[in-house]
Amino acid sequence: MRPFHPEFIFTALRQILPYLWVTIATMAGTVFFGSLAGILLARAKIRRGPVLRALSEIYIYVTRCIPSIVMLFIVYYGLPEFMLAFGIDINNFSKAFFVIVTFSILFAANMAEVFRAAYESIDPGQREAALSAGLSEWQAFYRIILPQCIVVALPNFTNALVNLMKEGSLSYTIGMLDVMGKGQLMIGINHGSYSLEVYLALSLIYWAMTLVIEHGFGTLEKHLSKGRKIVAAS
Amino acid sequence: MKLNTDFMIKTFLAALKGIPVTLEITVVTLLLSAPIAFFMALKRLHKKGIGSRITAGYVSFVRGTPIVLQILFLYSLLPSLLNYLLNRVLELDFDVFGVPPILYAFAVFGLNTTAVLSEVFRSALLTVGHGQMEAAISVGLSRRQAYLRIIIPQAMVSALPNICNTTVNLLKSTSLAFMMTVKDIMAIAKVQAAYGYNYIEAYLVVLLIYILLCTLVQLLFKAVERYLSSYKKLVTC
Repeated sequence: MRPFHPEFIFTALRQILPYLWVTIATMAGTVFFGSLAGILLARAKIRRGPVLRALSEIYIYVTRCIPSIVMLFIVYYGLPEFMLAFGIDINNFSKAFFVIVTFSILFAANMAEVFRAAYESIDPGQREAALSAGLSEWQAFYRIILPQCIVVALPNFTNALVNLMKEGSLSYTIGMLDVMGKGQLMIGINHGSYSLEVYLALSLIYWAMTLVIEHGFGTLEKHLSKGRKIVAAS
Repeated sequence: MKLNTDFMIKTFLAALKGIPVTLEITVVTLLLSAPIAFFMALKRLHKKGIGSRITAGYVSFVRGTPIVLQILFLYSLLPSLLNYLLNRVLELDFDVFGVPPILYAFAVFGLNTTAVLSEVFRSALLTVGHGQMEAAISVGLSRRQAYLRIIIPQAMVSALPNICNTTVNLLKSTSLAFMMTVKDIMAIAKVQAAYGYNYIEAYLVVLLIYILLCTLVQLLFKAVERYLSSYKKLVTC
């Protein structure tokens, strides 16, 4: 049995934690771009003509079948070549760029489904009532539909976010220096002798992050749906 | 950008040999995890003492950490742990490093899928009304019979879409088995790609195969679902 040094877990935690912001920043970027694309996909699936709808459905189906690591490698090796065909050299771009592109592509499909389900859960009568009360189409969406959608979408969004964080740990495979990457680097520096301790430290970090995200959004959901009940009762 | 189509066809044919390995990991993992997951779900539903607490902690931990971390952790822990237990403690002369890596894959994916499936089963069992169990016992069935004949068949129908999801996710995560030196689709494509730096082509082939496999799994579950729900309709009328 290899020697096990529990105290090294704390050393590892101390050294890895400063890299937490890299993980959080890439997650934030992915959530931003992924959600934007997700909104467009959901819109295409709800409203637009048959062609756009079919395209959006194919996109969602295909991306949900692709393992994240395959997508990550395709983007990391393929995108620079692809852009070079247009005369743009992105070989020197930061690793974070490729990570955000990859996971935005995948996250968009999840978000599209979350948004669509949330939108369709709202009774069409809500929109009609808002329009008949004199609100414009945009006002009806922004003031009536959206606040109700958000409450419905939150649990699924939380799930997608936790999955994104977990899948995001794969970005160390292209050499990104986030939480996981720093852990691997530490193991490499010590010639693999502290791997168990570092992996335990990493597990603790990810587990804690998951619990924080779930708890945080759970509280938010409770807070938002409290307002909903009052509206429904009055 | 030009894709090397000859290479892609060659890689496709080579990677097809990895499909049985990928499917083997998926199927064996599901078969191993399902019974354990079911008992874990029951433990959690009855909320009896420490067993339920431990199960809840286990499920939370597995679902809260990335699978790649679980793979790396167990793959660096298990061989030396086995070596220690078998050769030092039990003093057998066992060649731990000759263990086929696919067994480690079963262990890692099994531990992961058990946790996910136990949640699927728990929510499925919750959909079956309390009255069903009481009615079954009142007509003289034992608890075991009630579960086998009344509760499980009904719970299965509502669990099926989630089981399909779990299977697809499991199939996707088996693409990480190459980290344990298992020769699956991904590993074969990686080796092929490394010959001539044809990474994009190789991974596009892998992508295509995964889409095909996912479609296959989903069609299979659709068929089972149709079969089960037609059976359900017959019972109700």
